[in-house]
Amino acid sequence: MTVRRADYRCVVVGAGILGLYTAYHLASAGERDVLVVDRGRLSAGGSGRNGGGIRQQWETRSTIRLAREAVRAYRNFAREFGHNVWFRQGGYLFLAGTPGELERLGRVRDAGRAEGLPVRLLGVDEVEQLVEGLAPGACVGGCYLRTDGTLYPYPAVWGLYEAVRALGVEVALGVEALGVRRGEQGKLAEVVTSAGSVRATTVVNAAGGWSGEFSRRCGLEVPNVASRHEILATEPMKPFLEPMVVRVSDGLYVSQSMRGELVGGLTVPHPPGTEAGVPSSPRFLATMASALVGLLPRLARLGVLRAWAGFYDDTPDGLPVIGEDPRLPGFVHANGFGGHGFMLAPSASRRVASAVLGEPLDLDPREFSPARFLGPGAAPTVERLQLG
Amino acid sequence: MARSTARQFRFGRAQLEARDGETVLAALARRGWPSLARSVRYHRPRGPMCGVGDCTGCLVRVNGVPNVRACQRRVHDGDVVRTENSWPSPRFDLLGLLDLVLPHGVDTVRGLRRPSWAAPLYQRVGRRLAGFGAAPDRSASAGPAPHSSRTVEVVVVGAGRSGRAVAQELVRAGAQPLVVDRHAPGAADATGELEGVERLASTTVAILSPAARGSAERFVLAGADAEGGGLLVRARRVVLATGAYDGALVFEGSDRPGVVTADLALSPLGLPLGGTVVVGGGTRACEVVRRLGTEVEAVVAFGEVAPELARVASELDIPLYPRSRVLRSVGRGHLRALEVGRRDGGGSFRLACRSVVLAHRRLPNAQLAFQAGARRRWLDAPGAYYPEVDEQGRTGVPGLTVVGSAAVPSGAPRAPEARVAAAVLGPESEPGPPAADPSPRPGEIVPYYRELLREPRHGKWVLCPCEDVLLEELETGVARGYRGMELGMRYTGVGTGLCQGRYCLPEAIVLIALLEGRAPSDVGFVTQRPPLVPTALATLAGLRDELAAEGSP
Repeated sequence: MTVRRADYRCVVVGAGILGLYTAYHLASAGERDVLVVDRGRLSAGGSGRNGGGIRQQWETRSTIRLAREAVRAYRNFAREFGHNVWFRQGGYLFLAGTPGELERLGRVRDAGRAEGLPVRLLGVDEVEQLVEGLAPGACVGGCYLRTDGTLYPYPAVWGLYEAVRALGVEVALGVEALGVRRGEQGKLAEVVTSAGSVRATTVVNAAGGWSGEFSRRCGLEVPNVASRHEILATEPMKPFLEPMVVRVSDGLYVSQSMRGELVGGLTVPHPPGTEAGVPSSPRFLATMASALVGLLPRLARLGVLRAWAGFYDDTPDGLPVIGEDPRLPGFVHANGFGGHGFMLAPSASRRVASAVLGEPLDLDPREFSPARFLGPGAAPTVERLQLG
Repeated sequence: MARSTARQFRFGRAQLEARDGETVLAALARRGWPSLARSVRYHRPRGPMCGVGDCTGCLVRVNGVPNVRACQRRVHDGDVVRTENSWPSPRFDLLGLLDLVLPHGVDTVRGLRRPSWAAPLYQRVGRRLAGFGAAPDRSASAGPAPHSSRTVEVVVVGAGRSGRAVAQELVRAGAQPLVVDRHAPGAADATGELEGVERLASTTVAILSPAARGSAERFVLAGADAEGGGLLVRARRVVLATGAYDGALVFEGSDRPGVVTADLALSPLGLPLGGTVVVGGGTRACEVVRRLGTEVEAVVAFGEVAPELARVASELDIPLYPRSRVLRSVGRGHLRALEVGRRDGGGSFRLACRSVVLAHRRLPNAQLAFQAGARRRWLDAPGAYYPEVDEQGRTGVPGLTVVGSAAVPSGAPRAPEARVAAAVLGPESEPGPPAADPSPRPGEIVPYYRELLREPRHGKWVLCPCEDVLLEELETGVARGYRGMELGMRYTGVGTGLCQGRYCLPEAIVLIALLEGRAPSDVGFVTQRPPLVPTALATLAGLRDELAAEGSP
């Protein structure tokens, strides 16, 4: 695999949803001197392995704003990019198992309402109307937003891939970014790839699960951790479940895809890091099946068709990292999305593109800047509603 | 059979009777060829194809549970069986009109976008057309299924010819293998061959995974019995003797009811196959002709016909059509004729028939070996990936051996079972060098499809009958630059249906390779992940505590 030139304004590492969307925004703004590299094929990483959930229910105002913008983008995706992502707004329903969890969902509701989203807390009766056949006693209530939804991830990647290439961006698949070299004043000068070195003034680290690894290869200590998460899909069936259902207690999430399959996962801890690859574990299959049968006993005889796994790119405070790294001018982060890259990509990538172009960001630097993990007052570990 | 052992069941509005131990499909077959369902997207007629529980041609709803394979489900007294995905009936289905008004199908990736106000409509309609059966009834609710668990030194998966022979040699060598077999005990069991060997019949192994690190047993096997009860086996050594199956063939209307594989023709299901065209010129086709006798109307072979088959056919006065290709199935609903062309030029002609038996290509059941991490190698004849094994069947995965037709193509020389057993039990060492390609003869399927792709095509060439994926979609994907098996699968959905890709992926890999101008071994393959066959949530849930102990592989 090779690249065409030896000199680019910007090299984007990762041809996933974040990297391609960033390239798209750059090219749309007139900056077409962009190379996107990816060591794998299209959708080999998290962008081809996620459950397709798109929600606007968050605990912080800034993420709610990014998510709302993303929902608008996905609604228009087919028109803009000519590819159907089948974004179905069937809603997102969080289930609380205890009064404490319900209280927490109350804060999610309040945050959404403050931004003008009609988020509602539901009683058990209303939840049971939304989810046919829920096990008795499965929840004490829920939190629901009708305009959240799910989409089919692959066509989003294909649409962007074709769009950026049509705009003149070079996408080199099968080319791995290995590191960077600094030039004068410690600024970025070159990106070292498996196809040789290329000169560049900026590099965007949008490598998803491998972004921590890439930052460290560039000499930047970052707190990003790759964690393996698994998903299963059942036999397809006729429409049965409208919303994406997420359980607060164990992170179980499940929705019904356009093809009729139930697609869902829950967190089964695996050793951190990407070394072990993405095998499926029987432990996950059994744990997830047990959770699903407990939640929806009528599905007990439904068959599991397949399972797969991918990496989340987690940060200690559960928020993504967007912006230029103060330690290495020209190195822009677009990572740490913790399993929500697809959800926030259309809007987050716009800010990444702004960072590349040196434009001011309309984001609170305390929340998203890479600087928050540096220095003595480094950002604390925060437990957030990181579900679905 | 005594009347007292008969089972009563309902099929639609009819009250029917089944013999003791009989499957739903066998009971229905006594009334003629059953129409059981329509396909997902275009509501094309579907009928039984494989007869061994893998295809999606005989799915029915039993007691409120969708997607039950009628060929595997034994009738229980009082069963309520219904057809799915058709109205008013599978034979006359109103939505079958979709097939007529969409002669080239729909492009779900780039089509269906205009006018933009119609998008929500497309979405609602599309969602209803997807899926197959309705969700299970509430009355079918259940908790985790019961299970049994075992820890053994050696487990043999498959009790066919190779599995039995290896198991016997293992016993002779002093081991006590556990034999797990997907099928019910058959005629061979009357011979008492496997006496003294513990055997679990009607039990399918769906998961073969490395055990947690540090565990004395290297492998964890999980599966289900016919009633959905779970099985968990921890074993130090695994012998896969999972055999082979008959592959499908893609041609216009190849998904029509009446087109079946040799597996079905040779099964005891008793479907009325009268007036058959057999496709294939080798030993498998010969087996089919011997079984069906004068019911065979013709034999169509891609190349020359093997001398043995020619002899059997001439004794029965069956015409042979060597160097031919299958162009099209003809009929409204059920098959009525097959259009065949000569490969060496000349026109096409029709053979009137009621069924077509595909016996041209025997493929390995090697998915469990790949699931466990065995390396694969492409063999041109029959055109499939096989696990890489040495002379004794050992794979590169310590403790994993593959034997019989899951390891080498039929007709290729096989290691004597005594040597295999000795290697299984012997001190563990690296496997020897991979056995030489046991079938260095050139494969038939690549040149066959190459010729077909050059021809103009009409109508629907259904590559994946489970999800109604058309050959055209694969061509579109390749033309747009989505190359290789992995992207081909994602672009079209081929291989993601209920048959787990068994009947479409072997064709798709050859077709993708030809469309891209590469060798099949260069377009890659999909990752084999658990489960091998659809496994009920309740079954897996019942294994939770056992499997929770297993760490990350």
